[in-house]
Amino acid sequence: MATTYHQRMGDARPVEMTKEEIIYDIDEGSKLAAEMGRIPELTDDEKDHLLDIFLIPDKMVSVSQENRVILSADVGGMGLFGNYGEYGGVGIPMDYTTANLVMERGFAADYHLVSNLNLMNKDLKPAATQLQQSLEDTLMRTISPVEPLIVPNLGNYYKPEGPYDNAGDLISNGEIEKGLAAYEDAMVAVEKDLLWSAQAVLDPIGTDGLNLDTTAAAGDGDFLATLKATEQIKKTTRLSAYIGMANEFVLGIHGGLEYNGERLAGQYPHEQVKSVAKAGADMFGCVVNIKTKKSTPWNLAKTVTLLKRCVEDADIPVHVNMGMGVGGIPMVEIPPIDAVTRCVKATVEMTGVDGI
Amino acid sequence: MTNSNDAAILKDLSDAVINTDKTLLETTIKNGLDAGIEPLEMIENGLSRGMQEVGMEFEMGRRFLPQLMMSANLMTDAVKELQEYMGNEKADKIGTIVLGVVEGDVHDIGKNIVKIFLSVNGFEVIDLGRDVLITTFITKAKEVNADIIATSALMTSTMVAQKSLEEMLKEQGLKNKYRTLIGGAPCTEHWAEKIGADAYAEDAASAYGKALELMNK
Repeated sequence: MATTYHQRMGDARPVEMTKEEIIYDIDEGSKLAAEMGRIPELTDDEKDHLLDIFLIPDKMVSVSQENRVILSADVGGMGLFGNYGEYGGVGIPMDYTTANLVMERGFAADYHLVSNLNLMNKDLKPAATQLQQSLEDTLMRTISPVEPLIVPNLGNYYKPEGPYDNAGDLISNGEIEKGLAAYEDAMVAVEKDLLWSAQAVLDPIGTDGLNLDTTAAAGDGDFLATLKATEQIKKTTRLSAYIGMANEFVLGIHGGLEYNGERLAGQYPHEQVKSVAKAGADMFGCVVNIKTKKSTPWNLAKTVTLLKRCVEDADIPVHVNMGMGVGGIPMVEIPPIDAVTRCVKATVEMTGVDGI
Repeated sequence: MTNSNDAAILKDLSDAVINTDKTLLETTIKNGLDAGIEPLEMIENGLSRGMQEVGMEFEMGRRFLPQLMMSANLMTDAVKELQEYMGNEKADKIGTIVLGVVEGDVHDIGKNIVKIFLSVNGFEVIDLGRDVLITTFITKAKEVNADIIATSALMTSTMVAQKSLEEMLKEQGLKNKYRTLIGGAPCTEHWAEKIGADAYAEDAASAYGKALELMNK
């Protein structure tokens, strides 16, 4: 009977795989990534390295000393005090500032991403002073940099939440021109509000920067509005800007939008990072999605292939988004540690990424 | 057996859908009918193959929503035209699907793309939009005598509504009347099994295949 190794599927279910099956999945994952991004597959040596990581029998693995990278904590300490939110959490009664202190002093987070609890930029206005208060508390007590997290989310500007007709509804109903017009109108509002948040809310309170998270969730217009806003934020404030993505490629809701002479729709991480750098951002958050029906070796090979090329082409630091459903990690609220640590080890050791 | 001329015509039909070439489509339909190719074959092995290719390119980020919709519109018009020549073998709609994003969730990009794929491939889709109450799904399904209730959720905090839907269908004795199809970023096959949904679709393109499977169950 062939020796098998404990692995995970993309939905976190355990699976026993032979060495040959792992090799096959690594090959296939890397091959698809190469086809999607029109980039090279991993080399044989790199595939061997990845295989070695999956053959380690230990439950947890780690990067070597010389490969340590910066660790940020997405949505800050919300995972500690939160319980009902989208990101789950353990519901320990504590305030936001205390949670951030625990993240810094207990969990060694290198920098923090504090947010209004809803995270959405459009919804920041009624919560602006509350966020400023939380930020001031955190800034006064922590040592590590604090970068508030804001999601541009153009979709939040559609009726009934916002004033614009839903471009996706219009286009899928065949009203393409009307849909594109509504989309372009919403882009202007997103850009304006992002600039307001930076200039009126975050810069005055003295944060170290801002994290524009889940960018392009609503497609290429969401991305373009964020890039244009970032240009202005960098010119008019002293904030550093981190742009993290929502998806491995930019969804083309419009399809005709360009930035710096390049079409945004369909851009993959190695192309996205160039657009982000051109806008003046200081860091890029790379996202690679997983397939829940594929194994972690397959998903991680795909992630490493796309991420490696992104880091090679980047002129600014790149952090990889690692969490449920991205970065090779299974899609489950509390991802299993065996899969998470293998994803961390592979992305750090094989791609030269600057942080997680 | 398809001869080389027929194969070329079917490929032109596929290419016309892919490239949204209305002129090529009109000419090729006429050529196909003159050559005696069955309209149903032109739909299944010409137009649908083109749409499948468009779908695959969309999933890879190489084709965008307006183009997807233009191809879908073109195919819908072509199918209507071909149906006039189909007589008794006229293709009926495959089934009726009530589709929407669950209560508390406003993420509807994926739902809209699923709608395009289902509609263009012969399903009647009743789109309830986003932030839809479970009771609304059931009421509408009864009203239109739906075959499938398809729900999308993009957050872990809202996907529980899919579970509630299954429970409510059971409570009302409707579980065997409507088949359920679920999707959305945090959803998995495991989740579908856990809550008792009839199928899970990982993406828009596979939603059509899953819906077809459900119709044949």
